[in-house]
Amino acid sequence: MSPPSPAAPRSGVGADRLFQLVTVGAAWLVLLILGGTAASMAWGGRLAFETFGLKFITSREWDAVSGNFGALVPIYGTIVTSVLALVIAVPVSIGIALFLTDIAPRWLRGPIGIAVELLAAIPSIIYGMWGLFVFAPFMAVNVEPWLNDHVGALPVVGTAFSGPPIGIGLLTASIVLGIMIIPFISAVSRDVFNAVPPALKEAAVALGSTRWEILSRVTLPYTRSAMIGAIFLGLGRALGETMAVTFVLGNAHDLSASLLMPSNSIAAAIANEFTEADTDLYRSSLIALAFLLFVVTFIVLTAAKLMLMRIGRVQERAH
Amino acid sequence: MIVLRRKLADLIALVFAAAATLFGLTWLVWILWTTFVEGAAALSPSLFTEMTPPPGANGGLLNAFYGSAVMVMLALAIGTPLGIAAGTYLAEHGRHSRLAAAVGFINDILLSAPSIVIGLFVYELVVRPSGHFSGFAGALALAIILLPIVVRTTDEALRLVPNQMREAAFALGLPVWRVTSRILYKAAMSGIVTGVLLGLARMAGETAPLLFTALNNQFWSANINQPLANVPVVIFQYAMSPYDEWHSLAWAGALILTIFVLGLNLVVRFFARRGNK
Amino acid sequence: MIEVLERRAREAKVPALPTKIDVRRLNFFYGKMRALNEVNLAVPANAVTAIIGASGCGKSTLLRAINRIFELYPDQRAEGEIVIDGRNVLDPRYSLSILRRCVGMVFQKPTPFATTIRKNVAFALSYYERLGKRELADRIEDALRQAALWDEVKDKLDASALSLSGGQQQRLCIARTLAVRPEIILLDEPTSALDPISTAKIEELIHELREQFTIVIVTHNMQQAARVSQRTAFFHMGELVEVGDTSQIFTNPSVPRTQDYITGRFG
Repeated sequence: MSPPSPAAPRSGVGADRLFQLVTVGAAWLVLLILGGTAASMAWGGRLAFETFGLKFITSREWDAVSGNFGALVPIYGTIVTSVLALVIAVPVSIGIALFLTDIAPRWLRGPIGIAVELLAAIPSIIYGMWGLFVFAPFMAVNVEPWLNDHVGALPVVGTAFSGPPIGIGLLTASIVLGIMIIPFISAVSRDVFNAVPPALKEAAVALGSTRWEILSRVTLPYTRSAMIGAIFLGLGRALGETMAVTFVLGNAHDLSASLLMPSNSIAAAIANEFTEADTDLYRSSLIALAFLLFVVTFIVLTAAKLMLMRIGRVQERAH
Repeated sequence: MIVLRRKLADLIALVFAAAATLFGLTWLVWILWTTFVEGAAALSPSLFTEMTPPPGANGGLLNAFYGSAVMVMLALAIGTPLGIAAGTYLAEHGRHSRLAAAVGFINDILLSAPSIVIGLFVYELVVRPSGHFSGFAGALALAIILLPIVVRTTDEALRLVPNQMREAAFALGLPVWRVTSRILYKAAMSGIVTGVLLGLARMAGETAPLLFTALNNQFWSANINQPLANVPVVIFQYAMSPYDEWHSLAWAGALILTIFVLGLNLVVRFFARRGNK
Repeated sequence: MIEVLERRAREAKVPALPTKIDVRRLNFFYGKMRALNEVNLAVPANAVTAIIGASGCGKSTLLRAINRIFELYPDQRAEGEIVIDGRNVLDPRYSLSILRRCVGMVFQKPTPFATTIRKNVAFALSYYERLGKRELADRIEDALRQAALWDEVKDKLDASALSLSGGQQQRLCIARTLAVRPEIILLDEPTSALDPISTAKIEELIHELREQFTIVIVTHNMQQAARVSQRTAFFHMGELVEVGDTSQIFTNPSVPRTQDYITGRFG
């Protein structure tokens, strides 16, 4: 090539290589952070795991004085609140998603969509405060006595709904948690519903299907694994939620069949007790709890992502 | 008859969907209403002029606002460039690199990971070795919360830039870093800024990661190497306490925090919608 | 159209021009699929060479091989040689920066950058050369004049490039390319997204530019090829079927397939 006029490019390969290094390095950092989190939780919890072994997961004990710790109660509380929260949130979220993608007039979709998203934006500590000062007393005065009287006497289910109507407890915490995760599940559901090829829906419409039939026979079956992914995403959020639950769960290391009783969750236990943990074993037990939470959440979120990927380019909201 | 049954099912579904939406909105209104009423009652200029008080006394939240602001800004300074860099890598190499696929996947997991675990990670990483809580550790924890959000939005924003623009820039012979910084970032800027602002809103409300990193500080402190007061932890401690004055301050803090976070969200979404038109 | 060609053939007995780009045994692959098969083509200097053929015949692919823009995509690769001024530019050791400074490309869809007109033109220029303010302004004016856009934008150089019409944007892209003073200009269906008036302006532009530059234009519009080029190469399914003086190709092609394409039997 004829000699390039004036200067050859001022910077090129060197700067590019640096740029490449920075971007690749930052990418690796993301991996390192997740790996580091897992590793440090495992490391911090090793004392507890070594001391208690597998009994850690099955023991109900939680005694700071004698140094005997078991994860069963926090695990129980975490699972119960999360599952109940899902029971509340999933039908509501699907209903909201249906409303926003199909039923609501176009001009209403924007504002209501934003309103639902605001539910997700509210910091969880606000949920916690509202739960503690407003909702728990409400439950104690209006709902729990009713439950005690009318459901508590029933066989089988009765025990779950009988107990002192103090407001603080598994039921209240589950409801608050459920409200918190509604916007997550509904946002993903909305995206999933919108990802159904219009041709499919139009074909159903041409055959004279009602809206409900389109939803139940076309949309839901088509998006089945993505919807399960959305539910898992909500579950993953619920499992790790701290502040919304800490205020209203009661921090009681009691295992009870009654939903009206206070209990504990992994995140709440850590939040409430970590700064008071004065022995290494105490601290290690709490970190061991965190490790368990991390592992379970990781599995649930991975499953969620895999299922959501199946429907192709479904976008999850960046919350 | 069958038609009637089908129409009935449809009607029930419609009513249910509307009811579900109303249900969701009711909670929103109830929570916001409570926050505004309780918080407004506790609002006073002293919020911004006095420090957090000892139990049973009146005071303000000045040191908490300051501490939160400092930590959030430090977290932004740390997390934003790293997030943009990683997001750039994902966008420019995502289709054909296994590292990029893995990072994208892990990033999404990190996005939804329990923030309390992140806080404990930073505790083990920074607080334990240094022997004390610090605002710096708090900022680090918040930066880790911010990072995946910025990575995600940068990746998406860059992918939206049409390939032809890339080709036109490269065809002029410019090196990768120049094309990226001068052309691609400029085109993706609004998307990236949206992500950063939404991340900011999320960070501002996070409590759990600060519990084991910055903790709290009753007094005025500008030293990030020591425990630093911040709004969420103050709210937590005060709300859980038995003192009325502290409860009232907690509500005031909750109101300010809510206004900030929701306001930021609304502003961002409003501009995002306008930008899309 | 035939009259135009015959007149041109009489007016300009095209002298034997030196070869600027020598494509030797070029094979191109998208993954496993071969898009160009053993292409040998000599592109003369200071003339316009048109590349014609049906969709998917590989004409754009050839263009994109010359400035190695395909290297943005890891699953695309080229084998063979493209020799420009004695150096094989497909050699990985050959600097992309130098190559793309010498070989400019204009794309089908106008791609102005989201900045001012002035900055668009100066974009690559300020990267390659250290210029004073006065010099830079002069170079920008030169480029815009060469692209026949100066008169229309001289009063609004700081306006957004996106405020221009499609035809103007494409001329801006040409100005941007001309600003760095390349020797070869590749045009990939430059007018297919434009209205007839803009198309005519750009064809006129090409005609003026050919004295100074080597131009290769890919077009699916045969009339355009006939209007602007001196040499025409006809491609079919990744192979060079026939190449020759434009007037000869369009009036008396030697290969039947060329004849079929020209007369519209296919494509």
